[in-house]
Amino acid sequence: MLPNRVLVAMSGGVDSSVAAALLVEHGYDVVGVTMKLFSDGSEVPDRPCCSLDSVNDARRVCERLGIPHYVLNMESRFGHDVMDDFVAEYVAGRTPIPCVRCNTFTKFRDLLHTADSIDAQWIATGHYARVRDGELLRGSDDAKDQTYFLWGIDRAVISRMILPVGDMTKSETRSIATRLGLTMVANKADSQEICFVPDGDYVKVIAQRAGADSPALQRGPVVHSDGRVLGEHDGYARFTVGQRRGLPGGFADPLFVVAIRPEDRAVIVGPREELLGTGVAATEVNWLVETPPVPGDPVQVRIRHHSPLAQGVVLRAEGGEVEIALDEAVVAISPGQSLVIYSGDRLLGGGFIASPRRARTELPLLVG
Amino acid sequence: MVMAQPPIYLDNAATTPVREEVFEAMRPFFGPKFGNPSSIHSFGREARAALDEARERLATCLGAHPDEVSFNSCGTEGDNTAVLCLWRAMRDSGRNAVVTTPIEHKAVLAAAHEVAHEGGEERILDVDSDGVVVDESFDEHVRDDVAVTSVMWVNNETGVIQDIPALAQRAKQRGVAFHTDAVQAFGKVAIDARTQPFDLLSISGHKIGAPKGIGALFIRRGTAFEPLIRGGSQDRGRRAGTENLAYVVGLATAAELAVAEREQHWKETEHMRDRLQALLLAAIPDAVVHSRGARRAPHVLNISVPGTDNESMLMALDLRGIACSGGSACQSGSVTPSHVLSALGVAPALANAAVRMSFGPINTEADVDRVAEVFPKLVAKARSMAAA
Repeated sequence: MLPNRVLVAMSGGVDSSVAAALLVEHGYDVVGVTMKLFSDGSEVPDRPCCSLDSVNDARRVCERLGIPHYVLNMESRFGHDVMDDFVAEYVAGRTPIPCVRCNTFTKFRDLLHTADSIDAQWIATGHYARVRDGELLRGSDDAKDQTYFLWGIDRAVISRMILPVGDMTKSETRSIATRLGLTMVANKADSQEICFVPDGDYVKVIAQRAGADSPALQRGPVVHSDGRVLGEHDGYARFTVGQRRGLPGGFADPLFVVAIRPEDRAVIVGPREELLGTGVAATEVNWLVETPPVPGDPVQVRIRHHSPLAQGVVLRAEGGEVEIALDEAVVAISPGQSLVIYSGDRLLGGGFIASPRRARTELPLLVG
Repeated sequence: MVMAQPPIYLDNAATTPVREEVFEAMRPFFGPKFGNPSSIHSFGREARAALDEARERLATCLGAHPDEVSFNSCGTEGDNTAVLCLWRAMRDSGRNAVVTTPIEHKAVLAAAHEVAHEGGEERILDVDSDGVVVDESFDEHVRDDVAVTSVMWVNNETGVIQDIPALAQRAKQRGVAFHTDAVQAFGKVAIDARTQPFDLLSISGHKIGAPKGIGALFIRRGTAFEPLIRGGSQDRGRRAGTENLAYVVGLATAAELAVAEREQHWKETEHMRDRLQALLLAAIPDAVVHSRGARRAPHVLNISVPGTDNESMLMALDLRGIACSGGSACQSGSVTPSHVLSALGVAPALANAAVRMSFGPINTEADVDRVAEVFPKLVAKARSMAAA
């Protein structure tokens, strides 16, 4: 290993560009890499990553910084680890979060492998998160914190990670980009959507990969939680827990999706109070600290990116599963999203949400 | 990046540095001899004389008449022109098909696809596991309904050589025009239009020590032809546009040097290539050298090591100061699976491990030693990681 060499994952955006620039400034032997994760057919302009323009921006930044830049074709692995799973989750009636698996498998496993092959001791990204004493902390900029997507990585990787923008605000990052003359990226828009879902039409991705005849895209019943069939929908993959749009109207209280039942393609709806969860259980749990929490420990959790931190207590933590009791009920806990567990700034770990614990009724159909 | 030694360039099949003699020959045309060869005044005459002379010199290198030499911008233009212009000229006379091989450069394959797109028929010949065109397939596909057959003389990825004189002869017997992409062949194999019955042949300057942006297409007298680029009457109307005179002179100069040095160059590069191949195979006995069973041009070594991938290998080699290539690069610069190796029936995992090393006059035996030392180490590392 070369103790000074760092591989930087460069998307062509401002965060990873500034990350690379700061590492160059600090005297690291920096190697820039852009991962080509999928082919969009037509190149979509202004996409956050993977478009030709993004690759070109990353290359221009590296040229400006005087560092080598490589493009890695990771389409097949990304397709398998991230996109296939994304589709399978929707088909299973859940709401997936592909960025987690991208970090877990693509960035901090496959790309780490590339770092190994070029003897790079370090791997750096433009994530808003901080590394301290072998643990991850939330980014200093609360609005930009990205630890929600990082809980699944191998804990051993943390000691090799450098996250140069993690203790900055986004505006600080942008001003550094300007100061360093990275004009090609300084004012680029933040990435918002899922990178492989151009224009947010994820149903199209499901249709492409699972086939338009996937059960998740066929008509099915809209069923009230009291058992009444209210109408039909044109594919349960179009719905997510907490959603209100696209449901029948004309009821005294507004209805929300409270569950999705793939067995009979039913979308279960109910009033808002049925969305309230007093606890949450997760599977495929990964801990990023040496001493994971035990039952009785107070923790803070997030059940959705950007949702406020909720106070809770660990009820159960064993065998890759965890269950948290929440001090106050929260709405729209969606199976497939991540449960991310913190203690203060420290990211303790997380898992995929299997089921919420409902405030009002225990719905037997909500089997994780 | 800390680099103890200057990097080794082993990618001469991609491009070569401009030779000093070529640069010097071009220099006056960036200065006092700036005229337009089409002008009637003294400046134009001076330029025209240089153009005529360059055309004659390149023609001599090819065994061609000067009027059979059409200068263009690059090998891709020559390949495109040969396929499309022949087909467009012949399509209405009952010859609506084009025939080529699956291991051509994209410049030919894309032109053949365009033919299909425009209503023609595209036929792809079979090649064997070394990439050599199968005779029976040639006889089956090259019939009297074919406008043009295009077979590359030396493959850019594996170096495999086709028997172009024989194939051209067989095409001629069927009255089918024959084009060969000789971009990698020129300066390596003996080329003589007087004895070899090809009808069109494309070459590229930057593979032989001339600059990027110049090439030439040999078009035998009497070959049907419909121009791609239209405008003025330059080049007998075959390719309109003011000639890139400095580069034309550069190409003629580089071509003369390449022909004069051809046999010596073959010996030297073959020695280096064969020695490196032997050293690598000794160090990595299960490595696979592509097209090894066929006659290969002396400058190309395409080697796959099972259990490695070329993306990581190329990065690691580059960072160790050794410049090689994989298959052809896609637009984003990532390494894409090689269509050539796929056509040879190489398994995807092995194709994705392929590293092409290509020698040129700038290489030395010391380069061979260093690559022979570094490459196996990187392989061992990659394999130990894969096993971990």
